Amino acid sequence: MTLPRLVLMVFLQALILRDVSPLGQWTQPQWALWALLLIPPQAGPFIKLIAGFGMGLGLDLAMGTYGQHMVAGTVLGGLLPSLHRLMAPREGYEVNDRPTLKDMGSSWLLGFTLLCALIYHLALMVVTEWYWHLFPAALFPALTSAAFTTLCCLMTHLMVYSPDRRKATS
Amino acid sequence: MRNLWLLLQRNAFALAFIALMAVSLSVLMRHNGAVRSSWFIRTGGLNASVEQQRLQWRSYLHLAEENIALAEENAALRAQLLSMEMNAEWQPDSIRGWDVRRGMLIKGPDGHPHTQCLAAPGGDGGIEVGMGVLSGGMAFGTVEEVGEAHCRILPLVHAATYWSCRIRRGGPVVSIGWNGMSVDRMELVDVPRYVEANPGDSIFTSGYDLRLPADVLMGTVLDSRRTSGADFISVSVRPAVDFLSVRHLEFIQALPDSERIEMAQPPAP
Repeated sequence: MTLPRLVLMVFLQALILRDVSPLGQWTQPQWALWALLLIPPQAGPFIKLIAGFGMGLGLDLAMGTYGQHMVAGTVLGGLLPSLHRLMAPREGYEVNDRPTLKDMGSSWLLGFTLLCALIYHLALMVVTEWYWHLFPAALFPALTSAAFTTLCCLMTHLMVYSPDRRKATS
Repeated sequence: MRNLWLLLQRNAFALAFIALMAVSLSVLMRHNGAVRSSWFIRTGGLNASVEQQRLQWRSYLHLAEENIALAEENAALRAQLLSMEMNAEWQPDSIRGWDVRRGMLIKGPDGHPHTQCLAAPGGDGGIEVGMGVLSGGMAFGTVEEVGEAHCRILPLVHAATYWSCRIRRGGPVVSIGWNGMSVDRMELVDVPRYVEANPGDSIFTSGYDLRLPADVLMGTVLDSRRTSGADFISVSVRPAVDFLSVRHLEFIQALPDSERIEMAQPPAP
């Protein structure tokens, strides 16, 4: 399920959602992150790494950014195993735990998404600006964009994994 | 080998991460001008510092050889200086049949059409009016006027005169002159259309103008142009002497031919 979701989000972001940026450079969301963050914590590190790389590759191919998302996606994919370990509950993950609101709780989901979005946006800022003297001006837009990405991911999450729908299905 | 394999297996994730980052960065660098230029600047600086360090070490390790080379160069320069001092006297050149004496050009051609040159020595060094002047064995001009310590030289590149020359050694005799434009270019004049002058042909003095002995190299044919119906062809010549950078001269005096000197003297008033 992870792969179709990633592909779908990459295409959605590249074709439609890339223009959803109400405050310009201050709010540039990366919608495809939501699909990447839904990889279960129990998945192997190689899967996470390759998923991050693949997401970046897809975004670069679809958006014509040539390598920027690949670098950021590889950084995030490479750090995902460590982030999952860092954010693991005291008693560890259950076998069936998914990184959803229902399984991990709102604070975990918010913190994890924000952390990943920060890493992704900061990596993206580095490869986009590249020169040290350009970083200060780009840092704040990267932070606000990370916050906006977090918001967008949570909204998507709530739409897909709606508590009402969950109640209805149960 | 087995240990290496185990090491690779243990760090497989880190290696995969590095490999994917390398792929991503190479794609980024290939398509992003700012990143690429930054990469070139950094690696160029690094290369330069490494190369500088390498050269420093190399010169340190080859100090003895460099000292020997410098000593040899020093000896050669000293020998050259000594020979120049020794040549301040007239030296007979039995092969070419003249005496030669070295001199120094003080004021050379400056590109103006009627500039004459000033050189040392003058009369006190045995210089006489009408002597030929060479530079590096190639035609430079002729002595026009002699003072005590200096002399005035009429160079080849003087717009008011023509010189007798041959195309190739033993070839047809024609005249060569300078049009006052560029010191890198002289013109052969009155060259009949049946004469062959090909680019690369050497131009020698003919000796007929009594100013320079025969068979001294003057220049090389640059190009020749034949105009339809014209009786003469236009031939451009590159002088053998670089007139703007000449410093050392050779004054020559034909050994047996006192008639040439005598006839070249200005008429008595």
